[in-house]
Parts: sequence; structure tokens; C-alpha cells
Amino acid sequence: MVGWRVALAIPLVVMVALLLGPAAGGAPVEPVVLGVPTALGSIEGADSLRAVQLAVDEINARGGVRVGGVRRPLQVVSIDTREHEPGIPIHDALAALEKLITERRPHAIVVGAFRSEVLLAAMDVVARYRVPYVVTIAMTPAFEARIASDPAKYKYLFRMGLQSEYFAGNLARVLGFVKSRFGLSRVQFVHQDVLWAKGTVGFLETWARQAGWSLVSADAYPTGATDFSASVLRARTGRTQVLVPVFDMPQSGILLKQVKGARLPALVLGFISPAVPADAWQTFEGAVDGMVQFVAEPGPIAIRALPKSVHFNRAYGEKYGEAARLKLSGHGPGPSYDAVYVVAAAMERAGTLDPDRVAEEIRKTDMEGAIGRIRFNDRHQVVYGGLPTQTAISLAFQWRAPGRRVVVFPEMAAEDEIRLPAEIAR
Amino acid sequence: MPELLTVLVYGLVQAAVLLLVALGFSVTFGLSGIPNFSHGGVYILSGFVCWFSLRKLGWPYPLAVAASVAVAATVGLLVYAAVIRPVRRLVLAEVIATFAVGVAMLELFRWMGLVTYEFNLPAVVAGSVALGDVVVDAHRLVVVASAAGLGLALWWFGRATRTGLALRAMAQEEYTALSLGIREDRMAALSVVLGSALAAVAAVLVLPLGLISINLGYDAMLVALAVTVTGGTERTAGLVLAALLLGLSTVVAGVLIGPHWSEVVYLAAIVAVLAVRPSGILGRLKELEERV
Repeated sequence: MVGWRVALAIPLVVMVALLLGPAAGGAPVEPVVLGVPTALGSIEGADSLRAVQLAVDEINARGGVRVGGVRRPLQVVSIDTREHEPGIPIHDALAALEKLITERRPHAIVVGAFRSEVLLAAMDVVARYRVPYVVTIAMTPAFEARIASDPAKYKYLFRMGLQSEYFAGNLARVLGFVKSRFGLSRVQFVHQDVLWAKGTVGFLETWARQAGWSLVSADAYPTGATDFSASVLRARTGRTQVLVPVFDMPQSGILLKQVKGARLPALVLGFISPAVPADAWQTFEGAVDGMVQFVAEPGPIAIRALPKSVHFNRAYGEKYGEAARLKLSGHGPGPSYDAVYVVAAAMERAGTLDPDRVAEEIRKTDMEGAIGRIRFNDRHQVVYGGLPTQTAISLAFQWRAPGRRVVVFPEMAAEDEIRLPAEIAR
Repeated sequence: MPELLTVLVYGLVQAAVLLLVALGFSVTFGLSGIPNFSHGGVYILSGFVCWFSLRKLGWPYPLAVAASVAVAATVGLLVYAAVIRPVRRLVLAEVIATFAVGVAMLELFRWMGLVTYEFNLPAVVAGSVALGDVVVDAHRLVVVASAAGLGLALWWFGRATRTGLALRAMAQEEYTALSLGIREDRMAALSVVLGSALAAVAAVLVLPLGLISINLGYDAMLVALAVTVTGGTERTAGLVLAALLLGLSTVVAGVLIGPHWSEVVYLAAIVAVLAVRPSGILGRLKELEERV
């Protein structure tokens, strides 16, 4: 008797367990999807994606994001917009963004547009699909102006990367320092012919004239240009003392080789994206020597006053290898890493993935990150300043033999003052 | 005065760069009438081969250069056999086919992710040289000397060797050349191989001035076309003169007006020469001249 009852009970119990199992907590939980539509072929875009994956892995290792009482893992989906390449129209980058949104249905987007031109065009797409969007690379101030023009429509959009006005302001401060400290007075700007760089140089030109600088020229180069000899010649004939490059394309590192080859007696002070990584000294065979290089956000350089920047830098090296850590770019990775934590925290506070409520919580963010203290202004831009306890920070270092990056700005993080290269000091 | 000297010296360097980049394309077109627009792709491929040999395999510079030239010549032969020969004498088809090969090569490199700043070649000779008040890096002087040497060598090759004379004969009157026993197919293949090898020589000399960038492949096509159209295809002297004119013009435009205008010079030169003297400054193509 007992035998047939047991034989009947076992499959019955198994079936009940299978049916009730999911409701009892064994159901596979859907991941929270983070989209990364950016220029993955650029050094900034590729590094930012890796920084996002690092943060996602860290959060998942702790059990994921708790949304509405359920812990859910984060998942990254990416698409290459190729917008950093010369000749790629904005429309192609927008199509890639729309493809990611419609096919992969991300709950939020991080990193986002690489080019400012693409960011401005993407704002309406993001507003239409109602996806919280935290951009970390594109720098145009027009982003904030657009948000101010219609806060309700653009409430899903935020920026954690450096905005070009902050960058230009920092450049102006350091230019002011070298003018008063060393008596330099002839400045020349060389920049990429893209929105953020033009905006930066436009501001600096006006500032330089008012501050008593003599302006040699402001030369624009199309994306992808590799010959800067026209500017080097202008610098020589115009007796340039400070050469200010503003570029985010890989080819721009060659400017330094051309300046060195012409033995130009000028201090190079600005932003050349390939001159940021720790291995740039080897890559450009020492041509970076003496350059004062701005870094948009901490990340490639760990700042002791920012423990999370130290953690990020170390963890990045452990995950992707020392060679990858040495190549970390100067714009994007730090805020991209932080952006995942900002979005995850906002989702947890909101207790839902509803985009309106998540966006509202992102707006209220106040946390310590690798880039400093993260708080948004009323135009959804993270506030940058000089004190990491109060704001996010941007910094500058000077390349010195035999390949050291010595932080010279801001004051709270500076290891030394700017020194003039031997050519100009003579 | 120092400013003028600076512009002249850098103008001369730029002329040498243009001549080197254009020589391969021009030699092929001038000798066999084949418009080999895969030139830009072969140029960049040679740069990558040199970079790989130097940086990854650790080969010495001369060996890396030899590898680049050998690979470029082989690719030239393959392009001729697989792409050009089937459409030989159909000029438009030759243009389209070779252009497609060039674009495919360049976009393949882009797809492979060969787009970072790591891809740069060291200078053949490091350091700088002061020519009076003008400081110029030593590698640029190597470029000038090499361009002059190659120009002379090609001039000699076309006039003093049987192969060179055969190639020129084919370019001037193909059917008469055939009747004299010149093997047209072999000569055409040789001209493409020679042009590709010259593209490699240009790459290892010119690319150390900048990066190995995919876009430079497209620039190389534009430069080759501009110098060839401006100078005319029949005479090396025409190419040299065109390179000098364009080199100086681009430097003057870049310094006096702005760097953006350097590119415009090439396009303006092509349009102006085609409108006024379509066979080029020193060209002698009667057919073209009579039409205008």
C-alpha cells in the first residue's frame, strides 16, 4: 500500500515544486539593462565602456541593484556610433542610438554621445523614448542651455563629464598663472574643428585679449588631420610663447612631435587626448616632455584626496591589466564609472525603473565618486570646482623626464609648480 | 626674411612629401595608362607592415622597410592579376575596380580597429638641424633627399634601361610596342608592381612625420591625383614641378590664410589645370590639348 502512495507522491511533489518554485523566489530575475551608445573605436569611448563594465561587475558582485525589494543584476549593452570618425554624419550616430533603444530596451543610458553635435541631436530622441541618459564625454555648454529651455522635456538627460566652459575656465586660470609667474605674453591656439573645441577656444580668445595676451593665431584643423606644420610655422614666425592645443582625436599627438622637431621655444599647455595616458612618453618618444596636459576628470590619475579615484585606478588595472591602466584616457572613464553608481543608486531610491522617477532621483544625487563630489546643478550638469569635498574636479599635470606625470593643478592636488621647458627658459 | 626662408624650406619639404606620395600612382599611370586607385590602400598597408615589423617583431628598420616594399609589391601584383587584368583597357572599369580595392583595404583597417595613436613610425634620423634661422627635423631632410634621389632614379630608369624604355614605349603607343615584341601584359603588371613598391617607399618615409592614419590613405589618393593631373603624366620633370608648386602653395596658404586652406589648394589645382591645360603643366597629350 505504502509503496504505490510513495510512488505517486514523489512525481506529485516534484511537479508542485516546479510550479511553485518561481513564486517561492527561484525565478530568474530580469536584469537592469544599461545602454552604452558611443564611439567605441575612440580611446575615450572604449575606456569608458570598460569603466562602466567594471562598475557593473562591482555592483553585481554585491548582489546587484535592489529595485522594489528585488535584487536584480545589471547588464551592459553597447553599440558603436563611430561618431568620432571623420565623415560620419550625425544621422548615423542617431540611428545607432535609436537601434539600441528600440531593440535592447535599456532602462538607462550611460556614457552616451562622444561628439557634442551628436549629443544635441540625440536630446530629442532621448526625450521621445523617455530613457534616463547620463552623458560623460560630449562637452558642449549648449546642452545645459537646451535643458534650461525646456526642463520638462529634457528631464531625463544629465551630464557628469566636464563641460567645456569649466575646461576653458581652468585653462584660463593656468594661463594667468604662467603669465604672471614667467612673464609670457604671446599665445597661439590650435584646435580641432568641432563644436566643443571651437567653443573652448572662442572663450579663450576673448579672455586672452582682455587679460593682456598678444594673440598669434587660432588655427582650426579638421578631425583626422595629421599635419600641423602650418601652425608650427606660424608659431615660429609669430614668436609664440604658449601654444594651446585643444584636440580629442588620436592624430593630435603628432603635433607634439612636430613642435619638438622644430625646437619651438614655447610652452605647450592644453588638451591633446593621446598625450594623457601614462605610456604617452614612450609612444611619442619623449616629445611630450614639458607639456602641461589637462585631464578632464580624475580616473587615469589617482588623487589621494579622492579615495574612490585611487580605488577606480587600481581596480581598472586589476581587471583589464596594467597595460590597459597605463593607457587610460583623460576624459570619460572616471565619470562613466561613477555614472553607473549614480544610476544604480537612483533606481534603488526610486524603488522602480519608471524613467520619470529614476530621472528625478538622479537629479537629487549627492555622492562621493572617483571624480569628486557629485551633485547636479539645475541644468543637470555635475558641478566642477577646485575642492573635491564640494565638487567634482578637473586637473592638469606636466610631463617631466623620464616620463613622470606631475600634477600641477588644482592647488589642492598639485605636487609641484609648472616649470618652463629648457628651450623657452633659455 | 627669416619668415620667408622658413616658408621656403618647409615648402620644399612639403613638395618632397607630395612627390613621394604621388610617384607610385603617377609612374603606373604614366607607364601603362592604368589608373591604380588602390594606391592609398597600399600606402597605408605598407605603413602598418613597417610598424608591425618594427614594434611587434622587433626587426631592424632596414629589414622592416624591405618587408613593407616586398608586401606592397606582392599586393600590387595580386591586384593586377585579380582585379585589373580582367577589365584591362576599359578605363572606367579600371578606375572603379582599383578605387574599390583601395577603399576596401582602408575600411578593412578601420574595421580591424587600427585607428589609435599607437600606430606611429619612428624617424629614420632623430634630432633637428638648424639651417640658418630655420630649424627643421632631420627626418624631413631625409624625405627631401629621398624624393630627389627617387625622382632621378626613375628618370634614369625610363631612359637608360630596356625595361624602362619598354614601359615608356607601351605608354606612348601600345600597338606599335606590341609589334616590336614588347609583352604588354607583363609590362602592365610590372608597372603596377613598381607603383605599389614606390607607395611603400613613400609610406616609410612620409608616415613618420605623422601617424599611420586611415584617412591618410584617402589623402594619398587625392595628392597623387592632384600632382599627376597638375604635372602631366609623361614627364618626371612635370611631376617635380607640380609637387614644388603645390607644396609651396599649401605651405603659403596654411601659414598666411589658415591650415584649412591647404587642402583647398589641391582641389583648386586640379580644377584649374583641367580647365586651362588638361594634359598638365608639362604634359603633351595632343588629344586633350586640341579639345581645349
